[in-house]
Amino acid sequence: MTTATTRREFLRRTGALGITGAAAPWALNLAAIGAAAAQSATDYKALVCLFMYGGNDHANTVTPYDTTGYNAYQAIRPTLATPREQLAATALTPDVALPDGRRMALAPQLTGLKVLFDAGELGVLLNIGTLVQPTTKAQYVAKSVPLPPKLFSHNDQQSVWQASSPEGATSGWGGRVGDLFLSSNAAATFTCVSVSGNAVFMSGKVANQYQVSPSGSVRLVGAAQPLYGSQACSDALEALVTAPRTHLIENEYSRITRRSIEADAQLSAALAAQPALTTTFNTASEISRQLQMVARVIQARSALGARRQVFFVSIGGFDHHDLLLAQHPGLLTQVDDALAAFHAATVELGVAGSVTAFTASDFGRTLSSNGDGTDHGWGSHHVVIGGAVRGRRFYGTPPEVAVNGADDVGQGRLLPTQAVDQLAATLATWFGVSASDLPLVVPNIGNYTIKDLGFFA
Amino acid sequence: MLGVRNAGIAGWLDAQLAMPPSSSMWAWLVAKGYDAAARRLSTIGLDEMVWRKLLTAPDVLRQRTVFALTELFVVSITGLQGNWRQFSLAAYWELLEQNCFGTYRNLLEKVTLSVAMGQYLNMLGNQKENAATGRVPDENYAREVLQLFSIGLVELAADGTPRLGSDGKALESYDQATITGLARVLTGWTYDGLNNDSPEYLRKSMAHNPALHSLLEKRFLGVTIAANTAGLQSLKIALDTIANHPNVGPFLGRQLIQRLVTSNPSPAYVARVAAVFADNGSGVRGHLGAVVRAILTDPEARTVPTAATAGKLREPVLRFVQWARVFNAASAADTWFGSTLDVNRLGQSPLRSPSVFNFFRPGYVPPNTALGAQGLVVPELQITNETTVAGYANFMQSVLPNGAGDIKASYGDWLATANDAGALVARVNLLFAAGQLSEATVTTMVNAVAAIAATTDTARLNRIHAATLMCLCAPEYLVLK
Repeated sequence: MTTATTRREFLRRTGALGITGAAAPWALNLAAIGAAAAQSATDYKALVCLFMYGGNDHANTVTPYDTTGYNAYQAIRPTLATPREQLAATALTPDVALPDGRRMALAPQLTGLKVLFDAGELGVLLNIGTLVQPTTKAQYVAKSVPLPPKLFSHNDQQSVWQASSPEGATSGWGGRVGDLFLSSNAAATFTCVSVSGNAVFMSGKVANQYQVSPSGSVRLVGAAQPLYGSQACSDALEALVTAPRTHLIENEYSRITRRSIEADAQLSAALAAQPALTTTFNTASEISRQLQMVARVIQARSALGARRQVFFVSIGGFDHHDLLLAQHPGLLTQVDDALAAFHAATVELGVAGSVTAFTASDFGRTLSSNGDGTDHGWGSHHVVIGGAVRGRRFYGTPPEVAVNGADDVGQGRLLPTQAVDQLAATLATWFGVSASDLPLVVPNIGNYTIKDLGFFA
Repeated sequence: MLGVRNAGIAGWLDAQLAMPPSSSMWAWLVAKGYDAAARRLSTIGLDEMVWRKLLTAPDVLRQRTVFALTELFVVSITGLQGNWRQFSLAAYWELLEQNCFGTYRNLLEKVTLSVAMGQYLNMLGNQKENAATGRVPDENYAREVLQLFSIGLVELAADGTPRLGSDGKALESYDQATITGLARVLTGWTYDGLNNDSPEYLRKSMAHNPALHSLLEKRFLGVTIAANTAGLQSLKIALDTIANHPNVGPFLGRQLIQRLVTSNPSPAYVARVAAVFADNGSGVRGHLGAVVRAILTDPEARTVPTAATAGKLREPVLRFVQWARVFNAASAADTWFGSTLDVNRLGQSPLRSPSVFNFFRPGYVPPNTALGAQGLVVPELQITNETTVAGYANFMQSVLPNGAGDIKASYGDWLATANDAGALVARVNLLFAAGQLSEATVTTMVNAVAAIAATTDTARLNRIHAATLMCLCAPEYLVLK
């Protein structure tokens, strides 16, 4: 449930972030946002993006399983194909069958996700990727419509996925969603929380991404305790590292340090007040530790005064030009373990219906093989998970299993039939962003007739 | 500093550019016995060999340049496979040492054919197409050598600004067809003598196997290599074409300026460096020693800037190196220290980039800042966040008194200085911050340090550690100007 608040209240909240005053010139961004009615929530919701850096091989993640489709897949990448019998246990039986007898199976490692699919908590998005507008193959070939810039380039497509523009972008759609809900949260700092470093996805036009470690916040010890036995030196250190500066790079460093000290004080106290989660996470896996921290921050939501939060976690190593069979299954196992445990934790916390997680990646990969790996592609398959998701379904159209077929632009690089923009709009709408504010989050959403992919019940 | 004072800047640069590479990393690893067959899957020695170099080698300009090149021509232990990965990277570091002041064309060839890069970006084992299996050449190195190591994604004017098409958008410098063509060129490369007994093969260039090379026609960057052209000849054409592309000078020149001097060089600065890249004055293109000299002696590098946006954020690794250099740190047991990648250390460690895109990107625009509003980039801010600023400060707070692993500083000749808080802070200011700490900051530091009574050597050490930590954490120091 959301209610519009006044622009004045919004400015007051953002003013508390320290973004007015000396830094006022770029706070002019506020004008656009403030005019568009910041939204204030009274319930709790969270979005969680799990980004697989490197470009996940979608064809070995969600694999054609009907006989025709599987045989085509196997014929195109004979040395890389998952044996069909290994897919039997994770073959999906959706509530609404795919057309033309098509079937798909999750990778054999994704047993936890299979359980969530069957339980109706997980939906599969077929052939989704970066677009500027709906694009047919004929339009792609004729270059008659705008295409995402710098296709097939890792860093740029990561950025386009997260921010709708290539490297150098300064705000992403997760952060722009956060912008609209800063006033819903007592501490704006905890609106956009990344547990895996810097991701443009998490920066809004106003919202900063708070970057926390999988173990929680790190206390700047020298400013908190006597430094080498000297309180005077500790005080001086704190003054030096937090004082506003006129040099802009210096000032940014001290702004971050101030945020670090303030956020640590709040977050460490809030986390310490929570009972241990009974849900077990595999702490040997970095992505599980990241999602465990997300769960703990959600657990502390009341102590933090948080009603709307966007989280970011990531796992790298998916750029399998080589060693696809040797390495990809292990990564998928980690993703599966982490997402299954995270969903269980949201159930434990009683917020499963308030938390939606989704996967993302630079791009999909080629269907064709380069020997023991695949190359950079475009469209991919992803999942959305949560109690609010209408699961046990596919969303989108299964692509033709072919090289240079109807749905690919060469070597099986899929031309997306669903856009990241549409995914973003669907999630934002569920989160509470009004239809009129959607363009603030997804600037190109006006290019799409379908603005909601329909995966929320 | 003494060398510069004695020889002048030009003389010091001459001497540094002429100084041969310091003692071999590879030989150090061998002397430690890490080349034993039984240890081939261990990476022990990787970080240690780097710290030994960066902290103590006399060829400082070469090492500084090599470190910069490891961030442009990235190879990381994360993503390498195979035997003796530390030896692959020692060979790579030495390749950079030997070629960093030579020509770009030569460096490009050595990098391209190195086992380390071959493993990292999969040119090693890259094979020709096979219609029966659907196999096509691996595109990884073809793509990244263009995007990251030579010309970049968009066409550049000589001053590094993008060239725009009639639609006002930057002109892209290549397309997928070029990647497909170049990938064919880069087929047929294998290990030269793979074995499990000795790492020696890891420092040989990759070997060419003509039977695995694509003989199809190859088109890229406006060049066509006819079908059935031999692999080595195709490679020469490709490397010549890339190295002669007009983008290389401004593309790499700008990034080297960013690594060495400032985040946002003026177009004129880039143009001056690119002009030296195009011709070093003796008709040689791509002479990197001349490029480094041009970068460091440019008026924009030599003049203390006044703009509130000038300079660059010092990299965490370089702050740590500076601590060690200033205090003559050494490792008595020759065991040095391990990775500093953890966010509770430096959040950065040489040869441990998370990907070929380095720890930070040259085009990183810090969001929600006055810098970003001006379209300015600050690459190092990409790894600067609430966690890493605290992690770095805590790490250095521990390192100052305790050292890092076996790396211990020597504060003996600072003890006398420490009796005088003002003199101590002045010395720290000079040696760490080139005297650029402001009067207000100096006063804050002096007053705080003076609050520790210098009655014992322990107290004097506390003064030294406190003064240094305050400097190392002060934004005025952290931004190199």
